[in-house]
Amino acid sequence: MSITVDPRRKEKINRYKAPKLQGQGGGANEDMMPDYMNILGMIFSMCGLMMKLKWCAWFALYCSCISFASSRASDDAKQVLSSFMLSVSAVLMSYLQNPAAMTPPWAS
Amino acid sequence: MRPVFAFLLLALLCFASTKSESDSDFEEDNNDFAEFDDEFVGGSYYTEPAAKNAEASAGGLGSNDGDGKEERPEQPRKVAQSVDSDEEDGLVEDDDEFEHFQDEEEFEGYDGGDSKDPPIDQKTEPKLNIPNIPLHFRTHWDSYWMEMLMVAGLLAYFANFFAGKAKNAKLAQLWFSTHRALLDENFALVGDDGKAENENPGLIKESESLYTLWCSGRTCCEGMLVELKMIKRQDLVSLVAGLMRPQLDQAHIKIELTRGVMDAFVFAVGSKKTITKVFKEYTDLSKFCSLVGKPEDRYNVPNGFGVLSEIPEATSAILESRVITALNKYQSYIDYLHISDQFSGPIQQEESGTLKQPETKAVLLAGFNLPKHAEMETIKPLLLLIFYLMERLKTYRMSKEGKAKSDKNRQRVEEEFLKSTHAARAEAAAQRREDKRKQEKERILADEDPEKQRRWELKEQKRQAKRNAPKMKRLAVKSL
Repeated sequence: MSITVDPRRKEKINRYKAPKLQGQGGGANEDMMPDYMNILGMIFSMCGLMMKLKWCAWFALYCSCISFASSRASDDAKQVLSSFMLSVSAVLMSYLQNPAAMTPPWAS
Repeated sequence: MRPVFAFLLLALLCFASTKSESDSDFEEDNNDFAEFDDEFVGGSYYTEPAAKNAEASAGGLGSNDGDGKEERPEQPRKVAQSVDSDEEDGLVEDDDEFEHFQDEEEFEGYDGGDSKDPPIDQKTEPKLNIPNIPLHFRTHWDSYWMEMLMVAGLLAYFANFFAGKAKNAKLAQLWFSTHRALLDENFALVGDDGKAENENPGLIKESESLYTLWCSGRTCCEGMLVELKMIKRQDLVSLVAGLMRPQLDQAHIKIELTRGVMDAFVFAVGSKKTITKVFKEYTDLSKFCSLVGKPEDRYNVPNGFGVLSEIPEATSAILESRVITALNKYQSYIDYLHISDQFSGPIQQEESGTLKQPETKAVLLAGFNLPKHAEMETIKPLLLLIFYLMERLKTYRMSKEGKAKSDKNRQRVEEEFLKSTHAARAEAAAQRREDKRKQEKERILADEDPEKQRRWELKEQKRQAKRNAPKMKRLAVKSL
């Protein structure tokens, strides 16, 4: 397996081009987790805000955490931030409206 | 008239004094009222009798003792007197207002319950009435256990996030430092971020669990992209999911070969699970290859490996003794090897919409599992295997029959594609013709020359007639 001749060629250098579409290189392998979590977090935040469901607001916070943890470096940071803000505001609003402790779904 | 006024004034004063006297008597006699007030307020201060004067009627309302009942008839009597002596409207109203106090039936069953109350001793502490406080004003931190659990979960998540992130970065860096020398020997450019000035040559962090490395400047190939796909250690949820379906850190290598370096054939070898998966996913494999039955006997690949082959002679040329030895030795680390001159990525879902055949590239793809205990040295020979395969592809040439077969296969696939898109392409062509005609019409109409317009219309009519003519002829023949 040894290579005797130097295989390097300076004239053949091609610069790195980031794939235009994420799906180009391996669409099937592409990680859709951050997007799903973003949407799920938004839905939970809305449920938490509108229906005053505390556990929904907490789940939204978790979803945005997962979305943040698995987001790509090239992804828009604003999107993650807005999802975070929305879920945090959902938690805050639900406790400002009713400071009572959360009751587990099986207890109610 | 004056003496009369003076007399009336005197009478009024007398009445007022007698009323206040009787009221104060009434208050003093009725000790229970005072007690009640104390109890109601909940404190130990004593309400002044003067204030009670004003509240006498209210006190009467609240009182319900036996004494109160005895006193009550007196009050309306006095009011009646005042009506006699004075004809003021306000007092007359009082008469109606308190009339119901006389009515025994009004308080039926009301004083019965309270009269049973034990007499309260003023020396002892007054009994306090504590109303029900709404639930949420009670600050029992114990009741917030769910919230505490949630916050603890968040803290655990973030702690794991930082730990996992650091571990992934460490592993990726370890891979890079282990292979650095070998890469430097083979590529003129190792590590590129794609910016005008290569600011940080080395691994590029795509996400916390995905690192990429671009190498270029070598014979046979345009470039090599290494993707280090780590377990998502930064995400606690993925880690928990990984307990049920274990995953491994992987390195995916994609080498874009220079056009014409390799002969035209498609081939893949790898673990059976991955091979069945990529067979369905990738266009080139699904169109050109077939799954080889019993590859262990035919090509001597290790057990548990599958082979996808287009041209058998090319497959056996690739799977020669050295490669087979490597496959056997690093069986647990090799996920797949995929060589193709027709690589166009995964199968597109909306294929009917595309009218052009997807662009194809000659590639060499490989997927390796990284060792569990960060012993990167053990997988270093795998990169050598890749370079060896590249050299092999450069030198290997198929026989005439093999070439003819591969050409036939490519032609067949192209024909299939054209057939599948025939209707769509015909429609697109008709649309284009129609658009062209519309444009021409607009141009003629915009022109101010009526002679030109007339000519164009005649031409258009002729064209329409010509188009309809054959049908008419056929109809005429039929009618005869």
